[in-house]
Amino acid sequence: MIRRRGASLLWAGLPLFVLATAFFLPLANVLLLGLRLEDQWTLARVRAVLADPYVRHLFSFTALQALLSTLVSLALGFPLGWFLTRYRFPGKRLVQAFTLAPFVLPPITVALGFFLFFGHTGYLNHALQKILRLQEPPLKLLYSLWAIVLAHAFYNAPVFARFVHAAWSSLDPALEEACAVLGVRRFRAFLTVTLPLLLPAIFSAAALVFVLCFLSFAIPLSLGGARYATVEVGVYLYARVYVDLPRAAALGLVQLLVTLGLAYLYVRGGGRWSAPQERLRPLPTLPFPSRAAHGLWLLWLLGSAVLFFGPIGSVVADSFTRPLAGRPAGLGWYRFIFSPEHNPFIGTSPLGSIRVSLEVAGFSTLLALALGLGVSGALRVLRSRALEALLMAPLAVSSVVLGLALLLAFHRPPFVYLSEKHALILAHALLFYPFVVRIVRPIWEGLAPGWVEAARVLGASRLRAFLTVEAPLLAQALLVAGAFSLALSLGEMTAAAMLSRGELVTLPLAIYRFLSARRFGAASAMASLLILITVAAVVVWEWLGERSLRHGQA
Amino acid sequence: MRTLWVLVLVALAVVAGARELVVYTYDSFVSWGPALAIKERFEALFPGVTLRWVAVGDSSEMLSRLIAELQLGLPTADVFLGLADVELPRALAHNVFQPYDPQRIPNLADVPAELIFDPTGHVLPYDHGYVTFVYDSELLPEELVPQGLEDLLRPELRGKIIVTDPRTSSPGLSFLLWTIAHFGEGWPDYWRKLLPNLLAITKGWSEAYDMFLAGEAPIVLSYSTDTAYSYIEHGSLRYRAITLGGEAFRQVEGMGIVRNTKELELAHAFLNLVLSLEIQELMPTTQWMFPVNARAKLPPGYEYALIPEKPVSLDPMLVGEKLEEWLNQWQKLLIGG
Repeated sequence: MIRRRGASLLWAGLPLFVLATAFFLPLANVLLLGLRLEDQWTLARVRAVLADPYVRHLFSFTALQALLSTLVSLALGFPLGWFLTRYRFPGKRLVQAFTLAPFVLPPITVALGFFLFFGHTGYLNHALQKILRLQEPPLKLLYSLWAIVLAHAFYNAPVFARFVHAAWSSLDPALEEACAVLGVRRFRAFLTVTLPLLLPAIFSAAALVFVLCFLSFAIPLSLGGARYATVEVGVYLYARVYVDLPRAAALGLVQLLVTLGLAYLYVRGGGRWSAPQERLRPLPTLPFPSRAAHGLWLLWLLGSAVLFFGPIGSVVADSFTRPLAGRPAGLGWYRFIFSPEHNPFIGTSPLGSIRVSLEVAGFSTLLALALGLGVSGALRVLRSRALEALLMAPLAVSSVVLGLALLLAFHRPPFVYLSEKHALILAHALLFYPFVVRIVRPIWEGLAPGWVEAARVLGASRLRAFLTVEAPLLAQALLVAGAFSLALSLGEMTAAAMLSRGELVTLPLAIYRFLSARRFGAASAMASLLILITVAAVVVWEWLGERSLRHGQA
Repeated sequence: MRTLWVLVLVALAVVAGARELVVYTYDSFVSWGPALAIKERFEALFPGVTLRWVAVGDSSEMLSRLIAELQLGLPTADVFLGLADVELPRALAHNVFQPYDPQRIPNLADVPAELIFDPTGHVLPYDHGYVTFVYDSELLPEELVPQGLEDLLRPELRGKIIVTDPRTSSPGLSFLLWTIAHFGEGWPDYWRKLLPNLLAITKGWSEAYDMFLAGEAPIVLSYSTDTAYSYIEHGSLRYRAITLGGEAFRQVEGMGIVRNTKELELAHAFLNLVLSLEIQELMPTTQWMFPVNARAKLPPGYEYALIPEKPVSLDPMLVGEKLEEWLNQWQKLLIGG
């Protein structure tokens, strides 16, 4: 047992070492500025920041909107996860891939989608006014707390759907069948058997979503207005406007403690319900729609389709309808972004942008999976919930502070010798492996130890036991984690901006360049292209992954 | 091992004489502005030298990256271009720039003294413009078009104005400073009455203008050259810039040589090039700002670009001193304090 522990630690040591040098040390360097005053350690700055009534207002509002957003995301995402687990239908893979599209969109594009669709003069109000014959737009959703919550649900409901789907598909169907044989009603069986087994995944997703909403910055400001500012606005103000890094660090530190503290609570709470599983075969799926009762599902799906496809569809529609030289553009904006003489707008060709983005996303995903597996393995041995929560830091820290930490890490040896592209790949892997850990760990934890032990008794090495026994059982989780990582990398901005030495222009950066140049139609076309590429990348990834894993299993 | 190779390569590059001038700026200067023309011209003037633009973010993002890099002792840019005049005190306080040598910038002779906003001789202007309001003539009835700042308070305009956040956007800050310059001590009162008329206070200019174009509100905070832009680019006069009581807030944008550059000669040559007639005449239709070179001619269609009778500005040094206090007061107003 002791030898096994030693070997596992060694196995996990490498990713932890990379994390420490490339991320945690520089991050600590930045954050500790907040605890220094004239070469003395002190809490004075933290106290001063917290004494500001405006900062306190920011904290309470941020927590409130994050809580509401998490609940609404759960309410929308859980049924979707159920639906994806239970039913099969043509184009399922495409729908699944599409749910990740919101993830890659820069907040500014999501805001545009929301104006165009939910706005006072948006498509939805337009349609309702026509149908109901109203003079005034009936829906006043935007510019309120609800607009923020809705936009956050738009981003994050897919997180719940994906996490729940991954966990549910790895449940043993024998459990539900036993309930059916014993005459337990299906709803009761769900409440007493299935739901408790899904709780770790739900907690895991909730922890992530809460943290992401807590740190959200551009969405609350753009859709709610300055009245709805989050703590991140405070950090921005100190770091960017007053250029007072120590003060920004003090606030960033408090913010990180809050998010990590919550992550810790969730990790503990989720762990309590995890129970070993012995799964022998996949959960059966039903064709959809096949029964009259599916009408209700259809209605619900229609509702979520409005929320998800409405804003995205509006951006895509905008790329075709936005006037170009006074006329509706048709394909004009696409010709514009692909024409060589407009390349100076973004400093590269769109094809170059696509290639760079895909390359960075692909390699960083593989690296994130490796890091995530290593760290998950280490956590299985170490069993430290505090460490597990701490590892979420890349996601739980303010993007302003994160940018400074990356600047510090990647402009110094050894990382300064990496090319811009390699630096970005490494940075993305470091940023997104927590997603891998969050998805993989609850499921890995739930695997019964018997299988691995059996393989070891039969003479398999630890690595072989992992590859042949655990990896196939984790397949679904790894696929989902990889898909998230791909999408996140395709949409990432902070690291791409901070590490740039003017050579790489990723797709989101290209969108920003078009926006800043008032080429709103070109920005919409580029955003539509980004959606298309993300969906395609995720579909190909899952297809390749499933094929190779099936192959490995045989 | 790798380190060694890199050192060898760097050494070879130095021996071979490959020189580079790195300039930080904001993204629209590259995507839209005259960056490419400047690069071509500069590299033609100095064969063997590469001009590298680094533009990933808005002006405040690039400035804060530069400050952080200097504070952390990291390698950084040789020149920074895109400093808003009101940001001057911050840049000076962080010792970002070194003084330029006027002898080495002959084109400076064509720049009017009133535009040289930095009395300390670190930062030079390269363009200027006016922040003001723009309305949609198809959505806003003629009688509601505001004539003065007070008209923005009319109850008929409730929820019909979009502005940007002074904390995160430069036109937003300009508008706040404009109200402070105009109303003096009474500015918080004005804002208290204005808030119900603001549909949204967005993070940046792009969101605000996009919302305006989508028809969400008929009035938006933007730039005085917008009518000229709309006319020259789209042949339309639908979106019209206005001055309020003859006023609009003046923005001057500046550039400077970064403190620890080793390319002093090239950096001065760069500043001189940006002030040349050739590059200055590109400013109106690439930057949509007015040139600072007094000899530069404006293109046809620019008669629609408004020049206010009473340009408003505040002493950057005063702004530097009071900004934090003003923004704090503004934040309190927002939450009803």
